[in-house]
Amino acid sequence: MSKKKGFIKTLFSYITYKEKKPVKQFYIPETDNEDTKTEQEKNNTVKSQKNRRIKRPVPVSESSKENKPEYEKADDEKISISIEENIKYIKHKFNSPANKDIVIRELTVAKKYKAFIAYIDGMVDRITINNFILRALMVNDVKIDEDSDDKCMLDFILSNILQTNQAKKVDNPDEFMYEILSGNTLLYVDGCDFYISNETKGFDKRGVEKPLIEGVVLGSQEAFNENLRTNVTLIRKLIKNNNLTTEFIKVGNVNKQLCAVMSIKGLTNPAIVEEVKRRLKNIKSDMVLGDGILEQFIEDNPYSIVPTILSTERPDRAASHILEGKVAILVEGAPFAKIVPVTLPALMHSPEDSYMRWPYGTLIRIIRFIAAFIATLLPGLYVAITNFHQEMIPTELLIAIAKAKENVPFPTIVEVVLMELSFELIREAGIRIPGIIGNTLGIIGALILGQAAVQANIVSPVLIIVVSVTGLGNFAIPNYSLALAARVSRFCFIILGALLGFYGISIGIALFAILITNIKSFGVPFFAPIAPKTKESSDLFFKKPTWQQMYRPDYVNALKQKRQAKISRQWTEEEPKYSYERDEEDD
Amino acid sequence: MIKEGKFGTAEATYLITLVIASKTFYTSIRVMIKNTGTAAWYMTLVSCLVSIIFFLLISLVMKRFPGKNLVDIFQLVTGRFFGKILTLVFSAYYVYYAGSSLREFLEMIKAYNLPYTPPSLIIFAFMAVVIILAYIGLESIARLASVSFYPIFIGIALILFLAYPYYNVRAIFPIGGYGIEETIKSGFFRSSAYDEVIILAFIINSIDGVKTFKKVGIYSILISGVAVVFTCLCNIMAFDYTMASENVSDLFQLARVIYFSRFFQRIESIFLFIWIIASLITVGLAFYIAISIFCKAFKISNHRPLILQFAFLTFMVTLLPEGLIELAKINIVVMREYSMIIIYGIPILVLIISVIFGKRGDRQCLKSVK
Amino acid sequence: MLKVSKIIVLLITFVYILTGCTTDSKNIDDQAYAIMVGIDKGVENKIRLTVQFPTYKGGGNGSSSGAGGGGGGSEEKESGQIGGTVVTSIECSTVLEGINLLSTSTTRHISLFHCKAIIFSEQLAYEGINFYLSDFARFRETRRIATIGVCRGKAEDYIMENKTLIGENISKSIELSFAQSKNSGLFPLVGFTNFYKSTISPYSQAYSVYMGINNFKKLENENKGQNPPLKTDEQYYPGEVPKKGNKKQEMIGTAVFNGDKLTGTLNADETRYFLMIVNEFKHGILTVEDKKHPGMAIPFDLRPGRKSDIKVRFDKSTPVIDINLNIEADIVGIQSGMHYESLDKIKELNGLLKGCIEDEVRKTVEKVQKQMGTDIFGFGYYAASKFLTIDDFEKYNWVSHFIDAKINVSVYTNVRRTGLMAESMPVRYRTKTAK
Repeated sequence: MSKKKGFIKTLFSYITYKEKKPVKQFYIPETDNEDTKTEQEKNNTVKSQKNRRIKRPVPVSESSKENKPEYEKADDEKISISIEENIKYIKHKFNSPANKDIVIRELTVAKKYKAFIAYIDGMVDRITINNFILRALMVNDVKIDEDSDDKCMLDFILSNILQTNQAKKVDNPDEFMYEILSGNTLLYVDGCDFYISNETKGFDKRGVEKPLIEGVVLGSQEAFNENLRTNVTLIRKLIKNNNLTTEFIKVGNVNKQLCAVMSIKGLTNPAIVEEVKRRLKNIKSDMVLGDGILEQFIEDNPYSIVPTILSTERPDRAASHILEGKVAILVEGAPFAKIVPVTLPALMHSPEDSYMRWPYGTLIRIIRFIAAFIATLLPGLYVAITNFHQEMIPTELLIAIAKAKENVPFPTIVEVVLMELSFELIREAGIRIPGIIGNTLGIIGALILGQAAVQANIVSPVLIIVVSVTGLGNFAIPNYSLALAARVSRFCFIILGALLGFYGISIGIALFAILITNIKSFGVPFFAPIAPKTKESSDLFFKKPTWQQMYRPDYVNALKQKRQAKISRQWTEEEPKYSYERDEEDD
Repeated sequence: MIKEGKFGTAEATYLITLVIASKTFYTSIRVMIKNTGTAAWYMTLVSCLVSIIFFLLISLVMKRFPGKNLVDIFQLVTGRFFGKILTLVFSAYYVYYAGSSLREFLEMIKAYNLPYTPPSLIIFAFMAVVIILAYIGLESIARLASVSFYPIFIGIALILFLAYPYYNVRAIFPIGGYGIEETIKSGFFRSSAYDEVIILAFIINSIDGVKTFKKVGIYSILISGVAVVFTCLCNIMAFDYTMASENVSDLFQLARVIYFSRFFQRIESIFLFIWIIASLITVGLAFYIAISIFCKAFKISNHRPLILQFAFLTFMVTLLPEGLIELAKINIVVMREYSMIIIYGIPILVLIISVIFGKRGDRQCLKSVK
Repeated sequence: MLKVSKIIVLLITFVYILTGCTTDSKNIDDQAYAIMVGIDKGVENKIRLTVQFPTYKGGGNGSSSGAGGGGGGSEEKESGQIGGTVVTSIECSTVLEGINLLSTSTTRHISLFHCKAIIFSEQLAYEGINFYLSDFARFRETRRIATIGVCRGKAEDYIMENKTLIGENISKSIELSFAQSKNSGLFPLVGFTNFYKSTISPYSQAYSVYMGINNFKKLENENKGQNPPLKTDEQYYPGEVPKKGNKKQEMIGTAVFNGDKLTGTLNADETRYFLMIVNEFKHGILTVEDKKHPGMAIPFDLRPGRKSDIKVRFDKSTPVIDINLNIEADIVGIQSGMHYESLDKIKELNGLLKGCIEDEVRKTVEKVQKQMGTDIFGFGYYAASKFLTIDDFEKYNWVSHFIDAKINVSVYTNVRRTGLMAESMPVRYRTKTAK
């Protein structure tokens, strides 16, 4: 009976309506820049009277110039003489409990002077620290002059004890911060008002190789490797800023994969960081290996055909995205950084675009968009045109095609599918074929196969051109996942084109557009600058000159929208030092 | 209440403009030229003007009840029962509109492109996309519109530009068409062709209040008006008023005759792309609005379960006309010439009633906005 | 298992539905593409339809087969094979019916998608061709960019001679030969759209290219012993050009229609002046006899300086038409060797050219106006601006008044350049001096 009841219930459930639970979606709250700015200004004026402290961290680009208000705190101007104060200060500066990069080692020199060394983990050479700083300090008790009544021992230590090749006094907080960020080790002894910075740079350079997928002609030739520490360091090397924060999260119940979430505090919208951390923490799976799997666990739309997370093997690309106000996720054991949130245009950009002067960058970008169009649609269009819209082909070509096809027994659709499949086969096999022969075999295989297929009257020659151009277009797409998406959708368009001609393809395009415009990448609509329309972007299809790109992308709602001064090339405003009045006769 | 998401002024303008201007692809231009001859191009300006006046009147209604959409206003002014009936009229009209537009599209694509494909198949393919559009909701339609707005308008401009060897400027004379009287009369009734702008009044909660409402409405009427004027003008110049009133779709015909050189000709298939996407947006929006109005009237919070039923209704409407002739003589005439009586008439009637009985939106309305 | 069965059921339904999709799809090589269609008056039925379409022999995949064609035997002649194409004729009631009937004997569906030209025989054109045109206008396959031509003699014969001598590609040679209109200015090029528009237009009447077959009989072989006179006028109709060799097809002159009926023809010279009025004249060589040295010629390279300026006034109800032409010319040669390049002489030359063109233009307009009673110049467009409404204009009936219209022609000519020579030296010792 109960079974029957259950059956009736399920039957009933098919025809009745049940209210679904509304699903809440993440979005990036907008931070009104104008408001905060005015507020800040207000604070500035009020502060002098009320001596109020600003708690908001100063955005990066301001910190170098407008850091006066920040350093109104006692230890911003000069270095405190208390060791506790200094430790606290460094910890605060590096967002310490959250940011695990900074290491502070406390010790006692000559059994009576309290001291500490501070450095960033991974950026320093441990042997140097152990042998020539720590040992020197802790072993050489005798050397320390007993009757020296200096309050500060550092001068003595600098000249007598430290055995590092470069060591210098640093008495400016700004400067010592930079020393730490560059991989040097700071030494402080209680009672002094300066630090000693020791040259201990020693980040892992081993295994940093050329990028394999995202190669560029101009630009850096570094790629991430499998070491998380190295990867973080590679990014940190490019962004020397104390607000660059690395937070570590362990993912996976059993394997506890270490993930690093990198962002710039005071610039990245905290909501994004929060959301990334929330998603990472809430993965309940035994094993998360590599970032390809991680991507599938944290993306917004798992059913979408296009990737919504940008994965890059280039530290410079990751760094530039972090500076735009995005978040990079690095996973131990994967030579890629995941960037969120991204939009479709960002996936189509290549780091090279910005390294080149803008006219060249714009040209290659346009070519890349054309390539994406070809890679997705060309075979579909070819099928549609040859089957439904013969009027579109110029008569001469039409007759040539018909002549060439005269001995081919298959309809166009079979030819196209056949050739596309064999091309995919060559690609897939080319990856597996070991070593150097792989590439050559791929090309030769394609050539021979095409030629032979034409001669054997299996396909028509025009088709070979179509398929190879499509393949080329596919390789020109800078993002590998996106290229795969193009490959998948290409087959959909071939089928649609074969069934309903241009009508089918138009419907396919519309569907595609609907699906793409409605997926999100960490709360950002995937087609962001176009639909929904946000602020005019200076770096979308056409690239404005770099010095004109005044704002960060609007959709990330960064805490600081402006990325450079309105006149970024300030030297144009002032007169050159060596100048002469140019007369009209001069030429 | 049904959640529809929000979108900006630009997207709303793109959306409404596309829906209005998509008529240039269809038989509309032919009928205009048939009725008013060489005066067709400024006849549509009369329609624009009339539409703007009516639209401003409607915006008065919206102003009286800030934060309320037209469905709420109907119910507030005429009571629950009559309000629901009025709303149902609109809902029914939009089902009719979606169905008829789809049929018009079908007839044209069969005439020009796929003469032997079974019509039900074309409708199924089309409705599938429309259903997906409606399923995701208004935002998706707005986004599709904003993605395809520029391609569509660039496409139209390209067709009009490339056909220039056919243009004879003198063909716009005699300037008076079939007489001023006929022009103004036609222009007045043809303002029905711009009455999709009323859709804004139903989705006013998705755009930012009455001010945006007014701006979007007037912009979209003007932009689509310009598009229609240019298409009309170019067709008269290319085909004279005689041949232009013969073609099923003038814009398509114009695309078909483009001939630049041995290589650059026969590009009408490219026209298909922009035309199909524009039609998808038009039918999709009308279809969605029909459901949305229905939901609003009966306070249904989720519109998705209704989609299949409405799709079925739309499908029925699509199959109603026997052929192109019946469609052109009944459905399209109703849609493009007489629909203004309902579309503009009812809200204005509501305005009059609310003025007479002194009804207006209270503070609570305002609060509910925020 | 349930899932697999579900998928199978779904697949079957999909396949069932989708097989309906491809009813419109035809492979390229499943069709034959008619490139030229000719319509003659039938003997037993209304019309005789001639269709030419290219074969798919030869060429193909690179090296495999040799050049196509190869010697036309009698069998090939019979099956209508001409230089890589097939020409077939059929008697039928309507054009599309004819094509339908043809598929009984053709191995592939004949498609009109790529039809380059539709040719009517003169005989049929005299009786009216709108019946056939409207068929084409309605049918979706036919292109409205096809060229319309009227053939002196039978269209069938004309198409039989349609082959390419220079290149291999028949469709290319057809389009290029039509484009010659721009180079010579001796025949107009009218597409289907404009032709059809003119047949139903109240503003202007239709015209088309006049074509025919030249049997090379006009070229006299015998020299009669005396010096032939200088003939600067080219009053040729198709088939009358004295030439030999090359294609037998000839496009020269204009076929003038009234409504959809042929009412007369213009010869090569008249066509040139007619094209000047309708702004279709792009470029052409005109030879004028040197008045000071009879028997000597001065060829000019003409091109329009500005668009023709036409004004229509009404004197009571009779229209007065002012035609102002602006023609620029380059001197191509001066046979007499006279020093025409000086400032005052060039005016003389201008006057000579102006007089010549003015005269001819007037004659041409008059011929069309009085003899044929039709307005192919499109003066109606200019007249229309004087009317307020279409009703007025249609009631006025432009063509019937145009016949009585007064025509004023004025031509402004300007000899701008003198070719590569700034001035010419006369030949010194032309007369025999030696004993």
